[in-house]
Amino acid sequence: MSKNAVEAHLLEKRYGEVEALRAISFAIRQGEVFGFLGPNGAGKTTTISLLSCLQEPTSGSAVVAGYDVVDAPGQVKKRIGLVPQELALYPTLSARDNLHFFGSIYGLRGRELRMRVDESLELVGLAERARAAVKTFSGGMKRRLNIAAGLLHRPEVLFLDEPTVGVDPQSRNAIFEHIEQLKAGGMTIIYTTHYMEEAERLCDRVAIIDEGRIVALDPPCQLIGDLAEGIIHLGIANGAADGLLEKVRSLKQVRAAEQLDGRIRVEAVHTKEALIRLLELFNETNTNVTGLEVLEPNLETVFLRLTGKRLRD
Amino acid sequence: MIRQIISATWKDLKILFTDVGGVAALFLMPLMFIVVMSAATQGMYETDTSDQPRLLPVVALDRGPLGAEVIAQLDALDGIEVESQWDDDALTREQAEALVSEGDRAAVLVIPADFSAQIEARLDNPEAAASLELISDPASSTQFIAPIEAMVYSVAERVAESALAPERIAAALSSAFAGVPGADQLSLADISFDAEATSVVTLSRVAPAAMDVEAFPDSYQQNVPGYTVFGVFFIVSAISSSILREKHDGTFRRLLAAPLPKPALLAGKLLPYYLVNLIQVAVMFAVGALFFGMELGDPAALVVISMALAAAATGLGVLVATFGKTEAQIDGLATLLTLSMSALGGCLIPSFVMPEFMQSLARFVPHYWAMQGFQDVLVRGYGVAGILPEAGALIGFAAAFFLVGVWRFRFD
Repeated sequence: MSKNAVEAHLLEKRYGEVEALRAISFAIRQGEVFGFLGPNGAGKTTTISLLSCLQEPTSGSAVVAGYDVVDAPGQVKKRIGLVPQELALYPTLSARDNLHFFGSIYGLRGRELRMRVDESLELVGLAERARAAVKTFSGGMKRRLNIAAGLLHRPEVLFLDEPTVGVDPQSRNAIFEHIEQLKAGGMTIIYTTHYMEEAERLCDRVAIIDEGRIVALDPPCQLIGDLAEGIIHLGIANGAADGLLEKVRSLKQVRAAEQLDGRIRVEAVHTKEALIRLLELFNETNTNVTGLEVLEPNLETVFLRLTGKRLRD
Repeated sequence: MIRQIISATWKDLKILFTDVGGVAALFLMPLMFIVVMSAATQGMYETDTSDQPRLLPVVALDRGPLGAEVIAQLDALDGIEVESQWDDDALTREQAEALVSEGDRAAVLVIPADFSAQIEARLDNPEAAASLELISDPASSTQFIAPIEAMVYSVAERVAESALAPERIAAALSSAFAGVPGADQLSLADISFDAEATSVVTLSRVAPAAMDVEAFPDSYQQNVPGYTVFGVFFIVSAISSSILREKHDGTFRRLLAAPLPKPALLAGKLLPYYLVNLIQVAVMFAVGALFFGMELGDPAALVVISMALAAAATGLGVLVATFGKTEAQIDGLATLLTLSMSALGGCLIPSFVMPEFMQSLARFVPHYWAMQGFQDVLVRGYGVAGILPEAGALIGFAAAFFLVGVWRFRFD
């Protein structure tokens, strides 16, 4: 059997004329936390739908946990867990009843089922609220239970589709800790998000996805090291003086600069030094700075550089 | 797979029974209708509130003139329109029985061949009586039949009395004048008739020969099955809303990613509602039997009709779920369908009081077949063999609803 938990080859999905995924290929190693980072509509959820056998690819192939998603969806489904983006729970049932039901769907019975339900509740810190109806839970608690429901059958590969949407920072941290625990247990986790800090913290490797294409795939630190510069936006409401943009570009701390509507966008090699030099330059040329935004090098700036878009657009 | 279906069924039953309002709608509303409407209509059978003339076919076999007189007088009444011909020929008893058996007419009057002769015989034999028959479906509501019965009886009595009057007056006069000089000075007050101790005409209500049970339904036998069928179809809204919620909440997506075949997922979704339907029927009929003394008839036949009815209602739930994008849309559509189909199918008012084209339309809704099936068992005493056509029609509706529903169904 392959050492890879997931292998996708030229995976493509069309909905009529719309190309949701454009021939993407990648491999995910066993025990890896692999992130798909991209804005809404980039193709993250479609990728998960294909890998978890919810939809069939238009073309291309994918093998998950050793089985082809088109030829052996039943085998794949036994070995994967899906935590959907929605809170896929029954609000009027208790946390325990929800987990009991989802466990039974995976063929768990009797004492083993009860044990797994207890284990999962313990893992996500909801053991004390096991008997309460889910509708009485906070958003963060629901998210944690949503994850627990995907873990009951101890899947080899766990798909987490935007698992932190709409939760408070405290619950988000708790979720990160659960995921780190699962990773330590050797589970392969595929994680989609449009929060770059989550991908940076949790993922061994990140695929940046935009308009159905993977535009970069590497460990986060490498992506940042190779591709990221700090980005400085300087508001110049009255327009730039003649030659100002050339002077900005000539600074050694500046890799590139361009004038956009009412501002200059600067990709900086050393952000702090570049900022000091830029402000000096603007002072010398009597350019009135009406706004200033500094983006430190991170996946966000990598994404911005690669796609020209912000993740939260 | 069976265990997964059972798990899904148990889950939905739990969800359903934690929703107090939903359970109330499914059980208490039809119960309330049964109790209130039955009580409200129980005493109404003597009152004809209809503005529409009632069609009354008449089988005219009388060899004398009085039968024709009865027909003429009945036809002259505002509330009745007599039909003595069928396809341009005189109506026969067989045709008349078929009209009633098939539900085309609520009642048919039969005037026997010796009707006139029996009335005339009364002059010599005070025991002689002319008998009329009103053939009616035992399942017809008394509220509808009783006014017809009263009108026929009073007209026939009047015709008989009028026919006998000249002879009786002549007899009375000859008795009064016999041997009395100055008889022309007698006042009418001195002339007396023999008062009639018994009626000249008897009217008996009979079932068509093919319907061998002489039982007549009371208001509970109309209203218990009527509002049960009405209530069973409330499940349509519950099923379709639940399906839509599973789609919106992503639980369908989660279940589809599990090793659970789609047919099992759908079966697990529908089975709990099917069971709830059967419980509904059992509760409604138990209330009818225990509290209102309703005779239940053959239990096996009731079970067959109930199972077929529940299948049709569940199938309609799947179909309606494919026609709405929001719960409000689905609720509106389900309510519209439930109410209009119940009214058309004879749950709220008996179908034979409707105009003919509405009666024809009624056959296109499952409610009609369920009502016919239940009344075959409750009132006409049919067993399983007798209700197979109705059960078959209901299964046909269930299959059609389900197949079109599944064809249109999108899991995500």
